[in-house]
Amino acid sequence: MNFAFNEEQKSLGETVDRLLEDHAALRAPDLSAEANGPAWDALAELGLFAMMVPEDQGGAGLTAVDLALSVEAMGSALGPIAALDALAVTDLLVRHGTPAQQADLLPRIATGELRVAVAVTEQGCDEAPEGVGTTVTGNRLSGTKVLVREAAAAHLFAVVAQSGTGAAIYLVPADAAGVTVRAHEDIDPTCALGEVTFDNVELGAEALVGAANPARAVTRLFDGGAALSACLQVGIAARMLATAVEYARTRVQFGQAIGAFQAIKHRCADMAVAVEAARSATYYGVWAFAEDAPDRARAVSMAKAYAGEVAKHVCNETIQVHGGMGFTWELGLHRYLRRAKVIEHAFGSTLWHNERIVVETLRMDEACSGDKLAAA
Amino acid sequence: MDFNYSPSENEFRMELRNWLAGALPQGWGETVFEPEDEHERAMFRLDWERKLYAGGWSGINWPKEYGGRGATLIERGIFAEEMARTQAPEGINIIGHNLAGTTILACGTEAQKKRFLPPIISSDEVWCQGFSEPNAGSDLASVRTRAELVGDKFIVNGQKIWTSYAQYAQWCFALVRTDPDVPKHKGLSFLLIDMSSPGITIRPLRQISGESEFNETFFDNVEVPAENIVGGINEGWKIAMTTLAYERGPEDALGRQVRFKQELDKLVTTLCQTMQGSRAAIDNPAIRQRLARAITEIEIVRLNALRSFSVYLDGGDRGADASMTKLYWSHVAQNMYELAMDALGPVAPLSGNDPSARAMGRFQLSWLQSKAFTIYSGSSEIQRNITGERVLGLPR
Ligand SMILES: Cc1cc2nc3c(=O)[nH]c(=O)nc-3n(C[C@H](O)[C@H](O)[C@H](O)COP(=O)(O)OP(=O)(O)OC[C@H]3O[C@@H](n4cnc5c(N)ncnc54)[C@H](O)[C@@H]3O)c2cc1C
Repeated sequence: MNFAFNEEQKSLGETVDRLLEDHAALRAPDLSAEANGPAWDALAELGLFAMMVPEDQGGAGLTAVDLALSVEAMGSALGPIAALDALAVTDLLVRHGTPAQQADLLPRIATGELRVAVAVTEQGCDEAPEGVGTTVTGNRLSGTKVLVREAAAAHLFAVVAQSGTGAAIYLVPADAAGVTVRAHEDIDPTCALGEVTFDNVELGAEALVGAANPARAVTRLFDGGAALSACLQVGIAARMLATAVEYARTRVQFGQAIGAFQAIKHRCADMAVAVEAARSATYYGVWAFAEDAPDRARAVSMAKAYAGEVAKHVCNETIQVHGGMGFTWELGLHRYLRRAKVIEHAFGSTLWHNERIVVETLRMDEACSGDKLAAA
Repeated sequence: MDFNYSPSENEFRMELRNWLAGALPQGWGETVFEPEDEHERAMFRLDWERKLYAGGWSGINWPKEYGGRGATLIERGIFAEEMARTQAPEGINIIGHNLAGTTILACGTEAQKKRFLPPIISSDEVWCQGFSEPNAGSDLASVRTRAELVGDKFIVNGQKIWTSYAQYAQWCFALVRTDPDVPKHKGLSFLLIDMSSPGITIRPLRQISGESEFNETFFDNVEVPAENIVGGINEGWKIAMTTLAYERGPEDALGRQVRFKQELDKLVTTLCQTMQGSRAAIDNPAIRQRLARAITEIEIVRLNALRSFSVYLDGGDRGADASMTKLYWSHVAQNMYELAMDALGPVAPLSGNDPSARAMGRFQLSWLQSKAFTIYSGSSEIQRNITGERVLGLPR
């Protein structure tokens, strides 16, 4: 039992942090996605996308726990959001991909040259990935996905669709006939969100991921996205807290730094407590995900829901602490507010994860009382 | 980071589990419960602590030479989990274990450790905490209770207030003024006072729950041997800060989490069994949202404690982070009881033995008790000051 990151994990996180700090354009007030490209290339050059690829496929064979602090740094720096899709799909392929899929895709994902995007969310459907309306009939896939991140830049989509016997994941090249992308108009254009329509797209022989248990592959991908999203949310919250504290220390009104006023000081203290709580939930959730622990689903949902609430809270409070300055476009706090909202609604919203926490708690209680019976 | 347990940690867990199965009364938590009468309940808890001691499960992470088990902080975490799982009773000598013992262990002389630690572990001696006074609560450093060194004795005069468990305690650790002529933090000393000394009077105070756990404690020319000082004369503030770091720290939080987790489990079961119209309370989506939050927060209390343990095991210091630990558990636990009272529906006000009360009225009592969480061990406002100034570096 040990709840600390080791030196390598910390130093990788610091490296990613420093690297992305140099890409100040990522955090510019203007909502341009242009900074994503250079940052992506730098992350690829660092080898970030190879980290979770097994060593025999040209990677470093690390786990999500090893990358948690790095993903947190990506959240803090407003790094390219598509990096999260790449990591979640890498984990999926490592666990559920066929040898052919792994051999074909992982080495190219590892170098950053193959860009993958998760296509799960649909309009008018339940948030559960199992509830999607996109359908595969024969070997043809049809449906429309929304909120796909950096959709126009993607080479390959990991699409959740109904197979006839339940939801499954299909890999669809972006250049397949019948695939069209429309850029969304949305609150955070730096995520380059797009709607992707699959019109009777023919599936390749190696399209299905996790044939042995398609449903498990779907939850694995969704949990991966959710757990890593929680890391991004922690990164955003921690950075906003630091920004608020710095301002509270330096902005003077009534002859003193505003941080001396308890109304401000206490808000900052509450934010600090919330950020640490979000870290506890998130790090545990990432570990449970990486280990495939028996309470994985609940732990991941706790992380995503809680870190999402904390990120939202801290963004709001930080704007308040900055007064009128906080509301200016130029200061750029709106970037974090916007990004946090996009992440909050990806891979299950807070409301959805909360419901899952209760369902999982009741399920685990049953298991627990069964255990009691067996012992009696 | 690894939440898997080592073979020896698993062995520790199984040994404890087996012991607990034999030590708890038959039907515990199902047909057998704690006594309702406050005094009987206190005695029941004292008996339980002595049973833990007899089984070798008291003061587990204290050094063996003082009667402890030398367990690791991780084993302490396992201990808490198993206590929660079996809904084991609480103890009454919490102040002895968590405050007096830890402070003496950290700052006491060898003779003090040998004299005081073993009877805390065995619960032969129960302790109370004499810090607060009528005019010194949050502003603890302004305590006025005087102690004058005369020969080889201190003569103590003054009044403490809110002294929990004084009525059961054999010993009290007190913050007293030994020099009134220096700045307030610099004239304080930390004394260990025998509660059977002539000149001590205790008057119970009634709490909003109807119980009388805390008291007024009066000292009238009470003699305290000079060797019963922890630290030097006028060094009491530093010692008291050590006590507070333990009082607010992760071990304390983890012990409380055990109780909160038990209550939360009970709440879930109760909501499954409470019909509200055509559905059980647990099926109300609005309640489920808040319940999810409470489940998460109570789990985070545990995870926060484990994270702090890992920091300490890595050589990190105990410090102002204890204030954050305390802020967190006190507020989320209050929220949980507030949720319980909302979720029970129209019968929520029914308490005690009313036949229509849910879960035998336990949530009503706990809800009332929970109002103290954000006041004692330093109010939330004080914890926020400390967090803001010492953790975040904001100006005073
Ligand atoms: C159930 C219970 C058990 C207790 N047991 C013990 C015990 O065993 N031993 C013991 O010594 N004490 C005990 N206490 C006392 C407890 O530590 C004090 O009540 C607490 O420190 C607050 O002090 P006070 O009651 O004097 O309130 P005050 O200090 O008068 O505070 C009143 C209000 O003012 C606020 N306030 C005060 N100063 C500031 C500030 N600088 N900035 C902002 N707000 C401020 C407080 O937060 C609070 O809301 C117990 C209290 C309770 C409720």
